[in-house]
Amino acid sequence: MKTFEEKWTAWLDDELKGEELAEFEASLPDKAAAEAEKREAHKLGAFLKEQLQGRAMGNEEFFHHQLRERIAADARTASAPENTGAKPVLWPIGRLVWVGATSLAIFCVCTFFVMREKSPTDQSQYLTQILNARVDPAFSPNATISMFETKEDKVTVLWVEGLQSLPSEYATK
Amino acid sequence: MHTEATPAQADVSELDLVKQCQAGDPEAFDQLVGRYRTRVFGMIYNMVHNEQDAWDLAQDSFLKAWKSIGRFRGQSSFYTWIYRIVTNVTIDWLRKKQVKGSGAEFDDAIQLKDIDPASRTVPKADALPHERMERREIRARIDEAIAQLSPEHRAVILMKETEDMQYHEIAEALGCSIGTVMSRLFYARKKLQNLLRDLYENV
Repeated sequence: MKTFEEKWTAWLDDELKGEELAEFEASLPDKAAAEAEKREAHKLGAFLKEQLQGRAMGNEEFFHHQLRERIAADARTASAPENTGAKPVLWPIGRLVWVGATSLAIFCVCTFFVMREKSPTDQSQYLTQILNARVDPAFSPNATISMFETKEDKVTVLWVEGLQSLPSEYATK
Repeated sequence: MHTEATPAQADVSELDLVKQCQAGDPEAFDQLVGRYRTRVFGMIYNMVHNEQDAWDLAQDSFLKAWKSIGRFRGQSSFYTWIYRIVTNVTIDWLRKKQVKGSGAEFDDAIQLKDIDPASRTVPKADALPHERMERREIRARIDEAIAQLSPEHRAVILMKETEDMQYHEIAEALGCSIGTVMSRLFYARKKLQNLLRDLYENV
């Protein structure tokens, strides 16, 4: 279903035909006024055509030259990624190797320091035996053991209180 | 020297030229540009009313056409296809610039006529000074009136009245329905009739 505007435009441009034209013209309240407006619209069209046509550009050769240059520049830009096509592939690989090596180095350094810090000191075998004795309530339920250690001098002092008896192994040594 | 081709010449080999362009031949595209540059430039100029802007937009339109010519399937004429690009580029530009006509920007139209001696826009030697002045005034009035239309209404009225395009061709170029084209024509004509009546009744 055409709107009034569409029918009016088609009528002005003589695009309405047959039954549609008859129906539209019959629906016009003032056909003479409509015809006058139609003539006016045709005048406007002719006027615009006369006044607006023929606007030619100057420097046509330069227009072509400039356009060719832009097309060539665009082609160069488009082909640029192909020339450096290896880069996107190699770059992540190199970066991956670098990151891997760095991570390994950091891991080694950290491990070295941690291991140095955590290296077990030379402990007396008696300490183990006494500690074992302490946890056995049958031997010494109230014993307390304090340990003082100087790593630089490799000296360990064991302070034992409330020990009721020593294990036989310790006694023999 | 690039010259405009006659319609008959255009019909004969336009499709061949398009195929050559699609194969990457810039020379073929150069020929197509030669055929349409005047109409394209004139259309854009009538919409933007500035010679330099019209030049730049015509360049942008043809460059865009070159980039996308691979997608042209020949379902419409090349002429309609290029007009679709032209109107899209120009309407986008107008929307960005938000030109709402005061007519102040049209001064260059007069100056450039005097600057370029090789241009076809040079006034004829036999035109009298008062005739030239009258022509400029008329042109300025028309530009001012067109500037009061929205970009879409400008495109429709110019395609219809100066390019003699059919409703369906305009609809195709603008990517809208024929009904929309007719409706826009209705309002554009009404507006221009109100603004230019004294001119076209008396000139």
